[in-house]
Amino acid sequence: MAIKMTPPKEIIKRALSEDRLKLLEHEAFELAKYYEIPVPEVYLVRTPKEAYDLADSVGYPIALKIVSPDIIHKSDVGGVKLHLNSREEVARAVNEMLKTVSLRAPNARIIGVIMYQEARQGIEVIVGGLRDSVFGAAVMFGLGGVFVEVFKDVSFRIAPLSFNDALEMISEIQSKQVLEGYRGQKPVDKKAIADILVKTSKLMLENDEIESIDLNPVMAYDNGAMVVDVRVILRKVPH
Amino acid sequence: MSTSLEKLFNPASVAIVGATPKEGKVGRAILENFINRFRGRIYPVNPSYSEILGLKCYKSITELPETPDLVVIAIPAPGVPAVLREAAARGVPAAIVISGGFRETGTPEGERLERELEEISRTYGIRIVGPNCIGIYDNWSGVDTYFVSKMKRPPRGYVGFISQSGAFAAALMDWMAYHNLGVSRAISYGNKVDVDDVDLLEYLGEDDKTRVILIYIEGLKPGRGRVFIEVAKKVIKKKPILVYKAGKTSRGSLAAASHTAAMAGEYGVYKAAFKQAGVIEVESFDEMMDAVRIFLHQPLMRGNRVYILTDAGGIGVMLTDALTSIGLEVPRTPSDLREELRKILPPHCIVENPIDLTGDTDDERYMRVLDILVEKPYVDAIVVVALPQVPGIKGTFVDHLVKLKKTYEKPIVALTIGSEASLEVAKRLEENNVTVFESPERLAKALKALYTYSTIKTHGD
Repeated sequence: MAIKMTPPKEIIKRALSEDRLKLLEHEAFELAKYYEIPVPEVYLVRTPKEAYDLADSVGYPIALKIVSPDIIHKSDVGGVKLHLNSREEVARAVNEMLKTVSLRAPNARIIGVIMYQEARQGIEVIVGGLRDSVFGAAVMFGLGGVFVEVFKDVSFRIAPLSFNDALEMISEIQSKQVLEGYRGQKPVDKKAIADILVKTSKLMLENDEIESIDLNPVMAYDNGAMVVDVRVILRKVPH
Repeated sequence: MSTSLEKLFNPASVAIVGATPKEGKVGRAILENFINRFRGRIYPVNPSYSEILGLKCYKSITELPETPDLVVIAIPAPGVPAVLREAAARGVPAAIVISGGFRETGTPEGERLERELEEISRTYGIRIVGPNCIGIYDNWSGVDTYFVSKMKRPPRGYVGFISQSGAFAAALMDWMAYHNLGVSRAISYGNKVDVDDVDLLEYLGEDDKTRVILIYIEGLKPGRGRVFIEVAKKVIKKKPILVYKAGKTSRGSLAAASHTAAMAGEYGVYKAAFKQAGVIEVESFDEMMDAVRIFLHQPLMRGNRVYILTDAGGIGVMLTDALTSIGLEVPRTPSDLREELRKILPPHCIVENPIDLTGDTDDERYMRVLDILVEKPYVDAIVVVALPQVPGIKGTFVDHLVKLKKTYEKPIVALTIGSEASLEVAKRLEENNVTVFESPERLAKALKALYTYSTIKTHGD
């Protein structure tokens, strides 16, 4: 079944009531989707049969990820499968994943498996939201991979930010040339990224319980952008 | 809100609790400061004396003949809350607590004492600077709790300084005194139990005697960031704010939580906040003081086009590199100007920007070119390189330069490198508000700060 729109407040309330400070994958995607951040259509399945029936409508290639509040490193327990190109492959992969995970993490609670169409490769960027003890909600922008890991080439703004603030923070990073198109590539759609930054700022401001959010990576294309992974960490807000 | 700070800076009367005749004591130094400069009524308070330095001494705040506007407290920490409560209950509106021994000790006792001060401030509304600070040096009212006797006092002037570090505040005052830079008010707030950076920024923002605000900051109080941005945005419509952020390394405690939080550290967020607030961030002591000098004495820049007038080709090139690499423009001389210059200069002079009068120049050449440059609307700033080592320079161009600086609303700065003759030129220029630099790179950075503020201010208007 496709994930229906649950209001963010409910998602967060449910997670906190279950003592979870990290949202489950499908919850995190749902939250992003609510704010019209471009994310793939994500489906939660529980059996190979369900996956088989849905696969054609999801579209290929398909990615699968195990959903469990107890598993942090999914790929270590066989909880990630990528580049699946038919419904037979998808069904087999789900079957195998459920078996392997229950073997390697016997005590983990398994909610199911999420499946979604893989985003095509673009320039990888990262968008983040955080809560600073002094300034409150803030957003971050950087290029993915080595640029963020090694060079820490990122820029910040305190929320709320305007569309122009967002464009400015994109042009503020040192390695911005990469976004301008090199080796014959077209420049990326900065407006699409700016739009995600503004929406992330809104999401942070409207949900005080969110400690941080990582949209990492976001594939930036010459036309549009697509978020590949969403991670949301909550905090307990004192009353 | 900021008017509630007025009594800290402009009290009609002050009580000094912990005043003492003993040489070398904080209470003595502060009392002497007030006797020297303060024109209001001074009440030493100390139960052990009936008179100190010729002033009648009182046993307690309660015993004072009037309710003072300001109480300065310099006694050991355990006694502070009682005195403060007594003052607050009597209706004293403001206090400076010099004493240390509070939260900064990291002890439960220190923590408890500080919470007590906080509670007194909240209950009675008394505004408190401190504890654990050197307090306020106000050059206009004579409020001076800087107990560092060996610190030279800078002349009265227009730089307002807010410092999280007391020692740095004192050192900077000393340095500014030596360099004859005028100060309006300098505040070091210590543990900021009540009055913090944001309150002080707001106060100095509305203060007519402060034209440039300088802030040394390690960290704002939790939750005060947004107010800081709001207040700063208002203040920069009137005057520039320069800020030096100390403690730039990232905060380890957040590292694990998430990628974004780990990347942020503290500094990334501060840097963004400064930018959003329109505050000019300076990254070194040199930059800080260069920017102060340029903001004090130069009008705003209308654009980023800089013209260089030099008698040394090499310095012209260095300046061009320095200016262009930080985003200022050294444009090519337009044809009308080129022709005008050609008419008055010998053929071997270079009329392309940097305009090079060459080593055989005299004062006359400088003056004639300057007269033309100041008139041009497309010249946003003039940098005059005046190396007095060349034989033709007698120094008469200096007076001319000063005259032009006074007449025209255009930034004119100078670069001199050398020994006595050069320093002499620099001194004459500086005394007349032509900002002088020795380093092309520092000049470029200061000019860039001026330009940045100019664009912020024009956008805001």
